[in-house]
Amino acid sequence: MTREWTPLEPSQAAPPPAPAEAAAQAAPAPAAPAPAIAVEHVSRWYGNVVAVNDISFALGAGVTGLLGPNGAGKSTLLHMMAGLLAPSSGQVAILGQSAWRRPEIYRSVGLVPEREAVHPYLTGFQFAQYNAQLQGLADPAAAAERAIATVELSDAAHRSIGTYSKGMRQRAKLAGALVHDPQVLLLDEPFNGMDPRQRLHMITLLRSMAAAGRTILFSSHILEEVERLADSILVVYAGRLAASGDFRSIRRLMTDRPHTFTVRSSDDRRLAAALMLEPAVFGAELVDGRVSVRTADFGAFTRALPRVARDSQVSLFEVTPTDESLESVFSYLVRR
Amino acid sequence: MSVVAPIVEVTVRGLFGRRRIFLLVLLAALPVLIALLIRVAGGRPDADRVLDTLVVRFVMPLVALIVGTTVIGSEIDDGTAVYLMVKPIARWRIVLSKALVAAGLTAVLILPPVIVTAILLSRTDLATTIEAFTIACFFGGTAYAIAFLALSTFTSRAFLIGLAYVLIWEGVLASLLEGTKFLSIRQATLGIASALGVNTPGEPLPQTVSAAVLAVVIAGGFMLASWRLARFEVRGGD
Repeated sequence: MTREWTPLEPSQAAPPPAPAEAAAQAAPAPAAPAPAIAVEHVSRWYGNVVAVNDISFALGAGVTGLLGPNGAGKSTLLHMMAGLLAPSSGQVAILGQSAWRRPEIYRSVGLVPEREAVHPYLTGFQFAQYNAQLQGLADPAAAAERAIATVELSDAAHRSIGTYSKGMRQRAKLAGALVHDPQVLLLDEPFNGMDPRQRLHMITLLRSMAAAGRTILFSSHILEEVERLADSILVVYAGRLAASGDFRSIRRLMTDRPHTFTVRSSDDRRLAAALMLEPAVFGAELVDGRVSVRTADFGAFTRALPRVARDSQVSLFEVTPTDESLESVFSYLVRR
Repeated sequence: MSVVAPIVEVTVRGLFGRRRIFLLVLLAALPVLIALLIRVAGGRPDADRVLDTLVVRFVMPLVALIVGTTVIGSEIDDGTAVYLMVKPIARWRIVLSKALVAAGLTAVLILPPVIVTAILLSRTDLATTIEAFTIACFFGGTAYAIAFLALSTFTSRAFLIGLAYVLIWEGVLASLLEGTKFLSIRQATLGIASALGVNTPGEPLPQTVSAAVLAVVIAGGFMLASWRLARFEVRGGD
C-alpha cells in the first residue's frame, strides 16, 4: 500500500522563532507573495568553465522538473539554490531570503543530494533521527519514525545504511530531508537506483506533498521521469535555460522540431523523388547508399512514408531517426 | 548546545567505524611498548627525554594530525558533510562539536601512554614528570588537533600539509632557526612542560609565550574553521 504524506503535527515541528523573528514574521504580508524559489540572472563559473549561464526563473507550489543531460549544470543550479554554492553573479532567493550563508533557511528547506554518500554505520532510523536532532525538532524519534514510514523504509529501519541497496539509500536520504516537513524540497536525481515500484511510490508521495502546498524541484536527465511527475519543467542544456513552463507545451516543441531520418530501401532514388512531393518533407538526399530525409512534421512524415513507399512500389528495409538523443533535443531547444 | 551532542556522537561513531582507529591506538601505544622494551633490556633512560622525543615530537602530533584531519575533512571528502551543512545550525557550533571530538580523542589516546611511560621510566620525580607532560600534552594536543581540523576545512590535502609541517617545519627548521620557535606548537608544548619543572633540550620558550602560542592556535583555528564552514561549498556535481 502506498502511504501518503501528511504534514507534521505542531508539537513535532521546530521550536518557535525568537521574539524579534516572530515580530518580523507578524509584519503585514505583501500584496503578492514572493515565489518560493526565485533565481535571477544567476551564473556560476569555475575558472574559465561556465557551469551555469545567466539563468532566471521563479517557482511556486507544485512539482517542477529540472531536465537536462548529464553535465548540463543541474546540480550546480540546485546547489546554488540550496546555499551550498555561491553564485558568481546574480541572486538566488528561497522563500524571499538569499540562500547563501544563511543556515536559518534550512528550517524550511530539505535537500536530497545526488551523491550516494550516507553515513554507512548509522541505521536508516538513526540517520533520520540525526537529521531531526540537527533540525532542533521537539521529538526527533517520532519525527524520524514518521519520515521512515513515509518513504516505506520501516522494515529496514534498524539495519545499517551500509547494507542498503542504492534505492534504499535514496529513500533514507529522502527521509532525512523530509523529517522537518520542509516548505521547499530540492532533489538531485532522486530516482537513481530505484525500482519501478519505488519510483511510483516516490511520485505519489511527492505529488501529495505538492498538493499540500509544498514547492518541489527535482532534477533528472530522463524525460519520462519528468513527464510522470512534473507539472512544469525547466530544461537546462550547456549551462543555459533552454525552455521553461508547462510540460505539455515544451513536450510539443520537442516533438515538432525538425527531424532527420535515414531510410534504406529497394530503390533509394525513386523513394527520394517521391518523398520530395510530400508537404511534410523539406529535403531528401542520397548519402552512403541510404536516403537522408529532413522533415518538419514528425507525425505527418511517419504516416506518409509507408503510403509513399507502397505507391512507388519500393520496399522499406530500415527507417532510423538520426537525432533522437536527448542531447539533440536540448540542443534544438537552445537554438530556438 | 543541543545539537553538539548528536554531532559528537555521530563523529565518534564515524571515527571508530574506520580502520584508522586501530592505527591510532597502535601509534599511541608506541611509547609504552618502547618503554617496556627498554625496561626488559635492562636500560632506564631519562623519562623526560623519552617523553620529549617520542610523545611530544612524534606520537602526539601524528595522532592529532590523523584525528584532526578526519573529524570533518573525511566528511567533506566523502560528501556526508552536506547533511550537516544544510541544517539551521551556526557554523561555530559544528566546529565546536568537531573540535571537542578531535581534542578529546587526542587527549584520550595520548595522556594514558604519557602516564604509563613516565611510570615505567621515571627515576626521580615521577609526580612532576606526569604532571608536567600531562598538562603540556593536553594543551599541545588540543592545539595540534584544532589546527589540523581548521586546515582540513581549507584543503583536501590537509594530511600531507600537516605532515610536512610536523616533519619539516617543526622537525628541522624550527630547531635550526631560533627565531621561528614561536611558530611551533611543539616548542610551545615543551615550553609549558619546562615551566612545570621537567628538563627539555635546548632553550625552551618562556611559559607566557608558550601559553600565548597555544591559546592563539586554539582560538585562531576555531575561528578560521568557523569562518571557512560559513562559506562551505560542495565539491563536484555537474
